[in-house]
Amino acid sequence: MKKLPKKDDVPALRGGGAPRSSRIASYKLEARLDGTRHQIQGTGTLIWTNAGQSAVDMLPFHLYLNAFKNTQSVFMRSSKGEMRGARSSDSGWGWIQIDSMKIGGVEQVAKLRYPNLPDETVVELPLAEPVLPGSTIEVQFAFTEQLPEVFARTGYKNEFHLVGQWFPKIGVRVGPPGGERWECQPLHINTEFFADFGTYDVKLTVPSTHVVAATGVLVEAVESPGQTRTYTYHAEDVHDFVWMADPHMVVDRTTGRTPIVGQAKLEDGTVEVRVYARKEQQEFARRHLHAAIGSIERFSHYFVPYPWPIMTIIDPPMDAMAGAGGMEYPTLVTTAGDSVFTRAGVRLPEYVTVHEVGHNWFQGILASNEPVEAWLDEGVNEWADARVMQDLYGARANLIDWRGWQADTARLRTAALADEFKTLPSPIAAAAYVFADNKAYGIATYTQTLAVLTTLEKHVGSAKFFAAMKVYAKEFAFKHPTGRDLFSVLERELNMDLGWYFEPAFQQVGAHQLKVRTAECSAKTPPRGVMGDGPGRKVVGETEAPATGTFLCEVVVQNTGPVHIPVDIELKFADGSTQREHWDDRGSGTWQRWTIERSSKLVEVRVDPDRKVLLGNPIEYHRRLESDSSASRRASARIATWAQTFMQLVGP
Amino acid sequence: MAIRLSLGEMIGAGTRAVARYTGTLLSVFIAQAAVTIVCMLAVTSVLTDAFGHLPLWDEAVDGDLVALVYCVRFAEASLSATAGVVMWSVLLWVVISWFLVGGVNNVLAQRPEGRGETARCFGAGGSNTFLAYAKLALCSIPGWLAATALLLWGFDRFASEERMMVILTLPQLVGTLLLAALPGLFVLHIVWTVTDYARVELTLRHDSHEPSVVMTYLRTLAFVLKRPITLAHGGLGWLAFLLITVGYMWLAAGHSMYGAGGAVTLFVIRQGVALARSAIRFGVLGGQLELGKTRPLPPRRIVETKVESKKA
Repeated sequence: MKKLPKKDDVPALRGGGAPRSSRIASYKLEARLDGTRHQIQGTGTLIWTNAGQSAVDMLPFHLYLNAFKNTQSVFMRSSKGEMRGARSSDSGWGWIQIDSMKIGGVEQVAKLRYPNLPDETVVELPLAEPVLPGSTIEVQFAFTEQLPEVFARTGYKNEFHLVGQWFPKIGVRVGPPGGERWECQPLHINTEFFADFGTYDVKLTVPSTHVVAATGVLVEAVESPGQTRTYTYHAEDVHDFVWMADPHMVVDRTTGRTPIVGQAKLEDGTVEVRVYARKEQQEFARRHLHAAIGSIERFSHYFVPYPWPIMTIIDPPMDAMAGAGGMEYPTLVTTAGDSVFTRAGVRLPEYVTVHEVGHNWFQGILASNEPVEAWLDEGVNEWADARVMQDLYGARANLIDWRGWQADTARLRTAALADEFKTLPSPIAAAAYVFADNKAYGIATYTQTLAVLTTLEKHVGSAKFFAAMKVYAKEFAFKHPTGRDLFSVLERELNMDLGWYFEPAFQQVGAHQLKVRTAECSAKTPPRGVMGDGPGRKVVGETEAPATGTFLCEVVVQNTGPVHIPVDIELKFADGSTQREHWDDRGSGTWQRWTIERSSKLVEVRVDPDRKVLLGNPIEYHRRLESDSSASRRASARIATWAQTFMQLVGP
Repeated sequence: MAIRLSLGEMIGAGTRAVARYTGTLLSVFIAQAAVTIVCMLAVTSVLTDAFGHLPLWDEAVDGDLVALVYCVRFAEASLSATAGVVMWSVLLWVVISWFLVGGVNNVLAQRPEGRGETARCFGAGGSNTFLAYAKLALCSIPGWLAATALLLWGFDRFASEERMMVILTLPQLVGTLLLAALPGLFVLHIVWTVTDYARVELTLRHDSHEPSVVMTYLRTLAFVLKRPITLAHGGLGWLAFLLITVGYMWLAAGHSMYGAGGAVTLFVIRQGVALARSAIRFGVLGGQLELGKTRPLPPRRIVETKVESKKA
């Protein structure tokens, strides 16, 4: 029998102190897990405050688990039962049923209505009396739910349980004061979650064999009747609560906690980082721990300090990795990437951890509306992740450093998709659920946003850009920022009008289509041909007009995309000298010609020599005037020896 | 009573063949190196045509994975053409090898003395059996198809993408791949071994028995299945081949020779490895020929001769 873990002797907010958020939606929840049937019986109380300036006559709740109830849900229709390589199973449906919902002790369950049938992921409760601005309402509810076999962030796989989006969760009031409306979208393959901050007090009763980890701090762990244990957690200023229960996670016999523990050191204290993994994944767990500690330190440094005392990383078992791995919740994230193909040097596991931990800032603290502006957490987080990966693992080879092959995170992430930017059916700033498909959503939201922000960062200077982002993080921590808020802060802090960039980069399709169109160079000669008329007509040829000894070179660079950003152009000459030109094509047309006369021949043209622009395909940025076969010879030597190996397999 | 050779005697025969006919081995290897060089030149031409003006390609070849991704996406057709060049080089080698193996088998069977006699014997053997070896290749197509089907089945059954994604350690990976590949590889090994011994038989009995290719193939199939030493001997050869390949990869790991001079150095070193593997293949042929000599003779073809006399 595993030892009961000791309670966490720390406040739910690091250093205690006043609430960080307005705590609009707070929950008291109790749940009992049937580990065999993967069912949960739960009760709860929601305390919700109308922080707007208009009265509320209806409360909408997310019932996310109904996304897995049948093939008629918006989620199943939009995902076709598949997400990130994991598939739903015919035997693993999930659902949630509200057994009771009371206000002031009066049963309301009969009044519940589903506004988006046949989808049942949102339910609405009309109120007999409206909730006036500034008032608070208390709703008691009881529910029964069946966890799905995990394929999309929540559910079970054999004895492993990741329980996320599991309780009736109220929507969010958005809009201008006095004109607020509910934001409570049905769950779609492209959308994630959006909720108000609050406090959570949660009692979890699970089989006594199971190891439990959850959002917040553990305030009590006791043995309960029927060979169960009850864990009580408390969390403050979070907008979600998730928990994990699994009998096979490795724990220390003396503490009842995972042995993979470390401390992230921040300017104002420390954060305990815990990684839960099964025995066969302990080696990867240590890699995740290192990445998580580094991420918390770097994100705290760049933006705002991590406000909670504990960060828990769940490394799901291998058979649940695709479905349960790589998801973010406040103070607890699941990671992924463990594989024989990602051993030392291939840092996919580290990258997933950095990304998910990073979400504790970009959506955990800066709680933007994910269904409507997914780029504001996913894409901004991707941009920050690339910098953190560089800080932790080096500038050039931070994602891959394997047998001589190297790759940087931002460059590799954009390399495979740069050509797609100009053909996407929607721009970045589109609601997640209106993208044509999951691929278009993913490229625009994650990769193109990373490219847009990295390009801007390099254009204005990294130090200034990070300083501006820090101000944005401080101003909007524990609030619901919008893209417009981010743009306003950046323009204000960078002291420049950036509409010329934001509008085409975020609102238009096409990105930056820069290329060296032509590059030519020839020996300069005085005018030749037939000169003059009448008796004075003469033919001037090579003898009369010999070459001057200089070269006349011409370069044409074009940008046919909607995004225009100044770039440098480096010209390299045969004598080794270089010359830099600057092209600011904002309002100056789509192409530019340079004519250069030099004593040495032009041999190479390179647009964007400092690699500031990630929005296009750099294969067309850099061209030499005369062909060089040395690299091709090196490559063909390798290819030919492989061919020879095949020859020896089929012949003598 | 048939002579029974041991595995040690077969290996010994192979070693003697390599020691005695080193020149023949080198000749075969030079032919192979020539095909490899032609392949290399063709690939260089294709790649230079696609990437000669793009410095990003230089970075890709020097280990910049990001640059490689851009280059692959930029010139997919050229890379397909490169794959085509490799494929045709291997096919060309298959055809050339019918002549070369015939020559080697004849040399090892006749044991000529002196360079001139060896060359004559090699050429005669190669040309005498070329067409028979080509027919033999056709006979082995069903075996190849069976091996391919088994390989596909094995990977689908034991090494599907879903299974591969949950593998955590190198031993698990090797075990899974072996499980998936072994049935197909075993059939392939039988097909290869049958072909090798059928070639030996066609060389040894070419002048005396003019054996039918199809019957030789079928008789050899029965012979190989009845004499597991044939498979064990060939298997040892492949094991040595694998050890040399893996050993070189192990030693070369982390010592990639980039830079302008790297291509030549790399090519020369790899030719050394290839020569070692060729020696193993040559030695295996020597052992197979020695065992082939002990096989019962095939039935003679009955040749009816009509003699007519005319009276004046």
